[in-house]
Amino acid sequence: MAWLAMGPAKGRDVDAAELRLRFSASLDRARRELVDATERGEGGRTALASHAECIDGIIRELVAQARLQTRTPLAVFAVGGYGRKSQFLYSDIDLLVVFGGAIGRPEERFVKALLHPLWDLRFQVGHHVREHADFHEPDTTNPEYLLALMDLRPLAGDRDLIDRLDGSMKASAPAWRPRILDALITLTDQRHSEFDDTLYQLEPDVKDGPGALRDVWATRLLLRLGGDRRGGVRGASPDRLRDAEEFLMRIRSGLHVDAGRNVNVLSYELQEKAVDRLRYGGPDMRRRVEALMTDYFKDARSVTRALGRVRRAAVPPAPTPIRLIGENLMWVVEGITFADAAKAAAAPAEWMRLFEASVSRNVRVADDALALIERELQKHAYEPEVFHPTADHRQRILQFMRPRPGLSARLSEMRDCGLLGAIFPELNEISCRVTRDFYHKYSVDEHTLLAVRNVERQLNNPRFGPILREIRNPELLVLALLYHDVGKAREGDHSIVGAEMAEGMIARLRLDEAARQTIDFLIRHHLKMSRIAFRRDTEEPEVVRQFASLFSTEEHLKLLLLLTLCDVGAVSPDTLTTWKEELLWRLYVDAYNQMTLGYGDDIINRDEALVAALQANRPQDIPEQEMAIFLEGLPRRYLILFSHDAIYRHVRLSRDIRPNEAHFFLENNAEVWELTVVSLDKPFLFSNICGVLAYFGMDILRGHALTSLAGLAVDVFQFADTDGFFARNSQGRKEFDRRLDDVVSGRTDVTSLLKSKEDSVLTRRSLVRRTPVVYFDTAHSQRYTVLELVADDAPGLLYRVSRVISDHGIDVDLVLISTEGQKAIDVFHITRGGAKLTEDDEASLKADLEGMLQGPAD
Amino acid sequence: MKLIKSIVRPNMVDNIKEALGKLNIAGMTVTEVRGHGRQKGHTAVYRGREYEVSLLPKMEIEVVVPDTAVDEAIKAIIGAARTGEIGDGRVFVMPVEQGYNIRTGEKDV
Repeated sequence: MAWLAMGPAKGRDVDAAELRLRFSASLDRARRELVDATERGEGGRTALASHAECIDGIIRELVAQARLQTRTPLAVFAVGGYGRKSQFLYSDIDLLVVFGGAIGRPEERFVKALLHPLWDLRFQVGHHVREHADFHEPDTTNPEYLLALMDLRPLAGDRDLIDRLDGSMKASAPAWRPRILDALITLTDQRHSEFDDTLYQLEPDVKDGPGALRDVWATRLLLRLGGDRRGGVRGASPDRLRDAEEFLMRIRSGLHVDAGRNVNVLSYELQEKAVDRLRYGGPDMRRRVEALMTDYFKDARSVTRALGRVRRAAVPPAPTPIRLIGENLMWVVEGITFADAAKAAAAPAEWMRLFEASVSRNVRVADDALALIERELQKHAYEPEVFHPTADHRQRILQFMRPRPGLSARLSEMRDCGLLGAIFPELNEISCRVTRDFYHKYSVDEHTLLAVRNVERQLNNPRFGPILREIRNPELLVLALLYHDVGKAREGDHSIVGAEMAEGMIARLRLDEAARQTIDFLIRHHLKMSRIAFRRDTEEPEVVRQFASLFSTEEHLKLLLLLTLCDVGAVSPDTLTTWKEELLWRLYVDAYNQMTLGYGDDIINRDEALVAALQANRPQDIPEQEMAIFLEGLPRRYLILFSHDAIYRHVRLSRDIRPNEAHFFLENNAEVWELTVVSLDKPFLFSNICGVLAYFGMDILRGHALTSLAGLAVDVFQFADTDGFFARNSQGRKEFDRRLDDVVSGRTDVTSLLKSKEDSVLTRRSLVRRTPVVYFDTAHSQRYTVLELVADDAPGLLYRVSRVISDHGIDVDLVLISTEGQKAIDVFHITRGGAKLTEDDEASLKADLEGMLQGPAD
Repeated sequence: MKLIKSIVRPNMVDNIKEALGKLNIAGMTVTEVRGHGRQKGHTAVYRGREYEVSLLPKMEIEVVVPDTAVDEAIKAIIGAARTGEIGDGRVFVMPVEQGYNIRTGEKDV
C-alpha cells in the first residue's frame, strides 16, 4: 500500500510539544510571508498557495503521526478554498477524511489525533468524516458538502484508496452532475439575493458578494460541470476571470491583515487602507478610493458576466425555435440577437431596436449581440446623435423608457455594454461612482438603475400602481430618474447640477417645453418630498400648503411622489419602510387635496413675488394697472398654472369685453388642441362651452376654469379632435368660432344644437362601467362647496355634468378637469347665491348627478 | 439608571436629539413605529373615497440615563417635542437593572 504522506518516517514517535513548537514556527513564518506579500500588494494566488502548502506540510506530518491509531485504509483531503490553495490568513481549513472500511473507535482516535493539534494551533477546522461506501450515492441532503467535494485535493493517505475514490466519483459523476448543478445554482441565487442581486455595493463583500471570489469559483465549477459543452462560452475570457480573481484575492488578503481576523467586507475604513497597499496614488483620498472601487466594480462585473454566460450555457432555457422578429433581429434560445452581425455593426442607430424587441417580450438580449455592441463602441467614438439621427429614432428612445417589466434589466445590459453611456454620456460621469454617507449602499449608477427597477415594481403596488398608470408620460419619470443623481459627479448641489446636466439630453432628444419642464422640475426637487414627509410636521396645514404650491399640476405631484418612492427604495433594501411609505402617501393625499379642493380661497396678493415677476417682464402693450386689475381676485393657483406668455395673452383677451361676449383663442400643439376663453361669468357659461366642444365631437382631456371675484372667467380646455373635424373641414375653425360665439352670446341654445346632430356624442357612452363617485367636500374651502366627481370618461360627459349643476341654479366658479386613462376626474368649486350649498342642495344635486351618470343615454 | 421611552411626532426627533445633546446625553435608539393614543387616527378622503388612517406614524426614542438626569431629560424631551396639539406623544420611564458595554465588557455605573 503506497503512502502519500510526507514528513517523518512512518511510526516514529515524535514528542507532541516539540512538534507543536515546530509547527508554530513554520506557520508563523508562512503567515509572515503572506503578510509581507500582502503589504506589497501581492497577496494573491502565489502567496496564498505558499501559505496553503505550509499548512499541507503540517497536516501531512499530523496524518503520519495519527496513522498509528488505525490499520484501516484512509485518505485526507483538502476541500473548499483550502482545496483550491486559496488559503487566506484567517480562513478556515476544510478537511475530508475518508476511511476505506467501517468507522469504529480506532478511526475516531485517528480523527482526534489529527484535529486536536490543529485546534491547538488555533485553526478553525471544518471537517467531514466519511466511509468510502458513502461515495457510491451522492449525499443530496447537504448541498454545501456536495459542492465542497468539487475541490478535493489529496493531502495524505493510501494511494489505492485515493485512486478508488477517484474512480467511484468519476463513475457516479453523471448521477451527481444535476444535483451539484442544482445545489450550485440554488446557493448562488440565495447568496446573491442577500445582496439585493447587485454587485455595486459601496461596502462589498469580496468573498460572498455578487461578482466576488465565490462567483469566480462558481463560474469555473459550472464550466467543469458542462457549461462549456456547446463548444466554448462566447466572451468568457479565462484570462479576464483570472485577472479579476487575482485582484479580489489581493484585496481580501489585505482585509485579513488589516482586521486581524476573517473579515471580508471592504468597508469604507478598509478601502482607505487598501488604496495605500495597492498603490492607488494621488493627494485626494476620495479620488484614490474611487479609483480602487471603480476597478473593483469592473472586475466584479467581469465575473458576474462570465458567471451569467456559463450559467445560461449550463442550464439553457427551453428550446425556442429561431424566429425573425424584425429587420435584422432574431429570437434565439439565448435571447434577442442580430441576424446579420456585420450589418448590425455598421448601423448603430438601429441598436436600440434590439433592446426594444427585448423589453417588449421581456426576454434578455443575447450575449453575442451585447458583445458586438461593446466591441463596436470600443472601436468608434460615436457622438450621441449617431444613435438617434431622426425624429423616429428619438421617439423610439422615449417610448423605450416607458415603465414595463424588464426595462431596468435591459437598461443594465445597455449600461454594461456601454450603449447607455454612449446615448446619454452624462451617465458616464456616475459610472461606478462612490458616494459615502450613512445610508447609500450602492454606487450611484446602480442606485439609479435600481430606482428604475422600483418603477416597474410600483406597477403592481395596489396603492401606487394606479397613480403610475394615470401618468400620461411615464417615460419622463424614467428619464428624470436616470438623471436625478448625475450631479453627484460634480461639485455643488447635485439636484441643481443634475438638472443642468439633463439639459444636454433634453436638447439632443429634442423634447418639447412641457417635457423639459417636467424633467427639470423632478430633478431639481427630487429630495423635497422625502425631506418634508420625514422631517416636517405634515399635520400642519401651512406645511402642506407650501408643499402643494410647488406644483403647477397634479401630474407633477404624482410624478414627484413616484420618483421619491423609487429613489428612497433604491438607497438600500431596508430604507423604504412601510412607515415611510405611509408618510409619503399622507403627504401626497394632503397636497393633492390642497391642490384640487383647497386652492379656491387662496387669492392672488398683488404684493407677492410671482406678481412682481409678471409685472417686471410685462410687454410694453400691457400697462401695470391693467395687469393688476386682471389678476384681482383670481386664485393664486392661476399664477402657477400658466406661463407668463399665457397670462399676458389672457390679459389681452380680456380687453373691452362685454356681457354675452367671449374672446377666445384656439391653438394646436401636436395632437392636442387648446381653447382659451375669456368672458364675463354668467349662469351656464361653462356648460355652454363644454356643449360646443361636445357638438364638434371634441374629447376634453384636461382643463381649468377660473373665475375672479369681479366675475371675469378664464376657461382653458385641452382637447383631442378624435373625430378629425378640423382635419376634414378646411372651414372647420371658422365654423367652430361662429358656433362658440353664438352659444356664449345666447343666440343659439346649445341643447337644441346638440339634439339636432345625428349620432350625437350624448348618445355615446364609455365601454367601461364603473360606479361613479360624487363627493362633496366642505372642509377644504371656506368659500366654496367642492364637488369631486370620478366617473368613466365618455364623450360629452363634462357638458352633461355641468348642465345638471347649472340646472340646479348653482354657480360654477372654479373647475379642474382631468382625464386619466378611462377615468374622468373633475373637481368643481360651486356656490349658490354666493354661499356654500346646504345639505339639501347637496343631496338633490348628488341624486341627479348619479342618476344622469348611471342612467340610460339621453 | 432609567430607560426613558418617548413616542413622538416623526419630525421632532432632531429637536429632541439636540435638546438631549445639551444635557450631554448622547446615546439613543430611534425606531419607526405606528400607533395611536387619544388621537385614534382619522379618516382621510382621496378622490371622494374615504380611507382610514387608524395607526399614525410616530418615532420611538429610547435613552438610558442616570437617575440624577431623569427629570432634566424628561423636561428636555417634552420641551422639544411639544406643539400643544393632540398627537404630541408620550414619555415613559422604566427602571434599568444593569447595563454593559459589549465592546469592553464594562458594566455601566
